[in-house]
Amino acid sequence: MIPLQYYLLLAGILFAIGAYGIMTLSNGIRLLMCVELMLNAANLNLVAFSTHINDVSGQVFALFSIALAAAEAAVGFAIILMVYRLRTEIDIENVKLLRW
Amino acid sequence: MMDPNLTTIDFRLYAHWIVLLPMIGFLLELLIGKYTWRKGGMFATLSILGSMIISYGCLYNVYVQELGFWEYSWDWFYPGIVAGFTIDPLSLAMLCMVSFISFFIHFYAIGYMSHDCAKNVYFAETALFTGSMFGLVLSNNLLQLFIFWEMVGVCSYLLIGFWWHKPEAAAAGKKAWMSCAVGDCLFLLGIAMMYTIMVKQGITTEIISFNNIFQNLEHLSHETIFGMSALTIICILFMCGVLGKSAGFPLHVWIPDAMEGPTTVSALIHAATMVTAGVYLIARAFPIFLAAPNALMIVAFMGAFTALYASTLGLVVNDLKRIFAYSTISQLGYMIAILGCGAVLGVAAVAYAIFHLVAHAFFKALLFLSSGSVLHGIGNIRDIKEMGGLLKGMPWTGYAMLAGALALIAFPFTAGYYSKDRIIEDAYIYATNGGDLGYMVWIFLVLGVILTATYTFRAWYLAMTGEPRSYPAIRPHECGFWMKTTLVVLSVFALGLGIMTGGGVKFWHFLEETFVHETQTASGVYPGLDLHEIGLLGGNTLMQHGAHPPQWVIYLPLLLMIAGLAIATTVYYKNRIDVSKYVKKDNPLYQILWNKYYLDYLFKDIIAEKIIMTVFTFWDVLDRYVIDGVVNLLSWITIQAGQVGRKLQTGVVQNYATAVIFGVSMLMILVIMFRGGL
Repeated sequence: MIPLQYYLLLAGILFAIGAYGIMTLSNGIRLLMCVELMLNAANLNLVAFSTHINDVSGQVFALFSIALAAAEAAVGFAIILMVYRLRTEIDIENVKLLRW
Repeated sequence: MMDPNLTTIDFRLYAHWIVLLPMIGFLLELLIGKYTWRKGGMFATLSILGSMIISYGCLYNVYVQELGFWEYSWDWFYPGIVAGFTIDPLSLAMLCMVSFISFFIHFYAIGYMSHDCAKNVYFAETALFTGSMFGLVLSNNLLQLFIFWEMVGVCSYLLIGFWWHKPEAAAAGKKAWMSCAVGDCLFLLGIAMMYTIMVKQGITTEIISFNNIFQNLEHLSHETIFGMSALTIICILFMCGVLGKSAGFPLHVWIPDAMEGPTTVSALIHAATMVTAGVYLIARAFPIFLAAPNALMIVAFMGAFTALYASTLGLVVNDLKRIFAYSTISQLGYMIAILGCGAVLGVAAVAYAIFHLVAHAFFKALLFLSSGSVLHGIGNIRDIKEMGGLLKGMPWTGYAMLAGALALIAFPFTAGYYSKDRIIEDAYIYATNGGDLGYMVWIFLVLGVILTATYTFRAWYLAMTGEPRSYPAIRPHECGFWMKTTLVVLSVFALGLGIMTGGGVKFWHFLEETFVHETQTASGVYPGLDLHEIGLLGGNTLMQHGAHPPQWVIYLPLLLMIAGLAIATTVYYKNRIDVSKYVKKDNPLYQILWNKYYLDYLFKDIIAEKIIMTVFTFWDVLDRYVIDGVVNLLSWITIQAGQVGRKLQTGVVQNYATAVIFGVSMLMILVIMFRGGL
């Protein structure tokens, strides 16, 4: 049995990497991948706690979250695809037409 | 005999149709009148005929069958504010007069307006005018009366300016509206004050209904505003409304200019539907005036002063219609003056005033309609200096005008003789029984008599006798069937109304029942008022029994009338005295009269153009630089703040993400700090 702390530490590291990526990267696809990292860190937490307290509902919740992430990824990639068709680049620092 | 079935109809229950029928006539005339008989006029005339039938039915119910006074009302938009109708001798006398005169004026207008291209609009407006007057007369409360009062004003504005393509007519309409508006604002203020003090008494139903106010006068008379009796202030404010509507000094300036409208409109305004509204208001609110200290003194003085003042102006005007317009102002002054004498005479004053109002309505309508016939016959010339000798060419018109003129100057046995001489006699009784300013009122009224006779017959002699003084006057053409019929009917009443009512006595006895008899309502009964006690509230001691003035007072008006007639005959018929050396622009007295005591100059050139324009200039500067400045400064600050603040929105996703993460982190730190853990 691996102690709970290890799972949490792994999830924390994953989340930190994701957050760092979101704040610094400008490539749209990398950004989405970072979002996936953060989501999966949260999923890991859910499953770890669920096993820890012997309640299966946390794992069910993790399944929902995965489905949600899949949908989010589909929408996100679709947007990035359209941005690419429009501007032939996916650098989101340049996608700022709708500001002031 | 009367059909027995008719006697079972209680017409009082259909009183609202008196108002509604002309309104329906108005709509029909406006929408489809153009496509009907003679291109308009049918609906208006018939609807007023219908109102007339109901009015006379009500009169039959109350006068012959003695079914009692009746009032009904229903709640309106706000609890305590009602719409309602009242049937008592006062409103019946007015209703029967207004419907009769208005019907015949419509009848006459079918002939008179036959050449006009907007006949249906004309008839729609006169129907609305008459309907509004019915509404005003039937109102049992102040607010409804005020609404119809304003509708009457609107209609007069529309009709005076009916020939709007003439600039003078358009200006005259505006002037009528503005002069009345001055009085109406103050009248509305008076109604608001009456509402306030009634609510203060804890009254929640029928707050400003006349009968309810009358019942509560004893409590109301203790109310004060700024140390003055509230009722006196209210009555003065009402009086301002009356001066505007009934052309009292100094708000009468619109009346002469109102002659720019069609003559039938002048007849309607002067006889039936407009200027009588003010007199009616004082008569209707008479107990309030009686309970207010000093209010009736102001009424009496303003009336008597107006009576004399206007008759001096009638002497110099050369416009046929304007002479009669000034005589209207003067006669309204007589009515208002005798109402003021009610401080001593009690409800009899109301009876005398309304009898003169009715008699005046007949002969003034006759005078205007016959002068309308003159205008029709000689091509719209109004200057009596260009007439002369018209009696030969248009005898019907000429003798009709003579009948009206005789009634106006109170020639014996005409309607005016019974109504006006009674007013003057009773003004003397008022003076001898301790009425305030009594002798002054009486002297003003007596002097008015001689001037009235002079200017009326000056107009008649100059227009009808002598040699024609212009080309159109040589061959006038007599009016047609519609106009002739009306002139004959009105002549009969102008000459015979006094005799028909037994010298006015029957009329007065009927009218004197107003206020002192009980009024039935749907839910109960308003008991009759004790006017003696109400008079004491305002410090007015009413006479206990009738008094007779000395013989010389009775014959004085007659002698003065004959004197005035003699002056007019000598100067304008026999031409014994040449007045042309006085009637010159360099005679200062003539100049004052010709310029109408400079009132128009005062109102327009000084008050309107100098004072108000100066105020407006200051206001303009204030508005442009101070008020606009504040608004512009605020908007400038907002814009500048926006210019700076919107830079926060970079549009770059990472910046927003950073902000979110930073924010959530700070939140967690705060939670940990203040709760000591998650």
